[in-house]
Amino acid sequence: MAIITTQNLSKIYNPDTIPVHALRDVSLEFEEGEFTTVRGPSGSGKTTLLNMIGGLDIPNEGFVEIDGTRITGMKDRELINFRLNNIGFVFQAYNLIPVFTAYENVSFIMLLQKREKSEMKERAEELLTAMGLSKKFDSRPKQLSGGEQQRVAVARALASRPKFILADEPTANLDTDSAMNLLDMMEKMNKEENVTFIFSTHDQRVIDRARRVITMVDGAIDKDERKSPPSKGESELSEQGDDSLS
Amino acid sequence: MLLSISWRNIWRHPARSGVLMMAIIAGLWAGILVTALTNGWIHQRFVNMIQEEITHVQIHHPEFLTEREPWMYIQNKDEIFRFLERDERVLSWSARTLTDGMIQSPLTTSGVQIRGVQIDRERATTTFHENLTTGDYLDSELRNPVLLGERLADKLNVEVGNRIVLTFQDLENEITSGSFTITGLFRTASNPYDERNVFVRSDDLQDLLAGEVVFHEIAILVDREELSDSVRTDLNYQFDQIIAETWYELSPELRYITDAGGNLIVYIMAVILLALAFGILNTMLMAIFERMRELGMLLAIGMSKLRVFVMIMMESVILTMTGAGGGLLLAWLTLGYLGEKGIDMTSMGGDSMAEFGYDAVVYPIAYTNDYVTTIILVVVTALLAAIYPAIKALRLNPGEVVRE
Repeated sequence: MAIITTQNLSKIYNPDTIPVHALRDVSLEFEEGEFTTVRGPSGSGKTTLLNMIGGLDIPNEGFVEIDGTRITGMKDRELINFRLNNIGFVFQAYNLIPVFTAYENVSFIMLLQKREKSEMKERAEELLTAMGLSKKFDSRPKQLSGGEQQRVAVARALASRPKFILADEPTANLDTDSAMNLLDMMEKMNKEENVTFIFSTHDQRVIDRARRVITMVDGAIDKDERKSPPSKGESELSEQGDDSLS
Repeated sequence: MLLSISWRNIWRHPARSGVLMMAIIAGLWAGILVTALTNGWIHQRFVNMIQEEITHVQIHHPEFLTEREPWMYIQNKDEIFRFLERDERVLSWSARTLTDGMIQSPLTTSGVQIRGVQIDRERATTTFHENLTTGDYLDSELRNPVLLGERLADKLNVEVGNRIVLTFQDLENEITSGSFTITGLFRTASNPYDERNVFVRSDDLQDLLAGEVVFHEIAILVDREELSDSVRTDLNYQFDQIIAETWYELSPELRYITDAGGNLIVYIMAVILLALAFGILNTMLMAIFERMRELGMLLAIGMSKLRVFVMIMMESVILTMTGAGGGLLLAWLTLGYLGEKGIDMTSMGGDSMAEFGYDAVVYPIAYTNDYVTTIILVVVTALLAAIYPAIKALRLNPGEVVRE
């Protein structure tokens, strides 16, 4: 069963002045454990799609369902609470809290969830260690490299035990080593913990590692491709057609 | 959690927060100091009036204070004295013989109020004797001793040891006069009072005025000021032919000053904090604008709007209260010193204050209530000043700001 379903999503910005069609009739399904990228040129609607799925923006038409719960039309307060407990976010600019240490940044979301202190500590330490940051617990974002900051952001997104993680251009500000390292970490979490990842990106390094690639053009799905299972050692894409539901 | 994040957020820009805190410290310090100075003036005026002259309750013939005729004395004085002796609320009392007349020196004459006092009782009831600057009190062995204010003595060009003549109307409406020897000079906080009043022994005045024991005024000091009303009521209920009045009925202006002083801290602080509110608003707005993306991220990952709102309000309150704490501490330390030493306003024209009955040396007082009021006003200001920035933060669209 799909954990994310978008049905006929459309989004028009400035409908009364100069309308911009950011999304056109987008219908997609995402299964648990997917490692998917949404690619496309700037302005193609990648981020808008992720924002819709993440409940950060409201579609003009269509709806989003997450694990059977329709989030489109939810009240603001319900939606914030839903995001807290179901969705992890990783942003291009890391967006860590600069006055908190790496450990506190990861714990913070669990504090919002009112988790037990011991559980918070154990989870934050485990995630930071898994991200290769065991010696950086007490470092503030300023004291970390870009790659390290983004790994803290991934740890933060995972800390709330979300159903899936939305990562908007996560490698855009990273050098190759850092980007590859980050992707290793995320792939590891995907495989070991079956965490679903959905990226928006132009970064070929990310696209190469994805097992499903959705291409967007002018707000619509142009292609939705799935790679063969990596265990077979294949890397080619198997095309499934425009706007298709996988 | 919110407390911790709010506190750390304040120190993201130590210079900016520090400048605002310094402004708050300076503002509150100055505000409390001005309030304490005024409190001190009012308190000293109150103490001077109550302890030196008016006391808490006074008894007169019902028309004496308006007509001031010598025959309007207290008829049933002995019964009243007995009542006062028995009443446990009464700390002490003193009867006075009063009349208006002229004082004459070899050089000039002047109109005065002649106050005949019972030496020991007056000393136990008021602190007037502490105002004596030269010579002796009225317990001199000389015949007909009199005390003059320094200013009156200057005006009459007389000094201790000189004789003056007091002329006034007796009970038979005949003009009578007596020669008195100046045994001492006094100086109170009020120049007009010093120029208008002379003090003699009540026995001496009664000999000339009536040839019998007459009193026009009984001044009563009660155990606590709050008892004034009940003593006044009981006296009026028990005795005819007299009127008992409390200090605030006798001197409404004193009550007005005292009441107004109570609200002073609110007015002064309101003005200071209004100015500071703009500083707080500016600082908080800057803090919000430069953290748009971060606030958007917090909303995106699931921090409720209420928490974001509370966090911003807390930042404002903590920032303001930290400054306020410094200001209050500084004010408290300053007042600890000045409250003991006093501020001599003489060189700053403070002598002219004596024309209105105020001391030139002021001992500033800040009451606990002043500090509490200040803290409440500071918190209210901080909250009000943060509402607009907090609302701005809540209107953020997290999807947009995290992308920017």
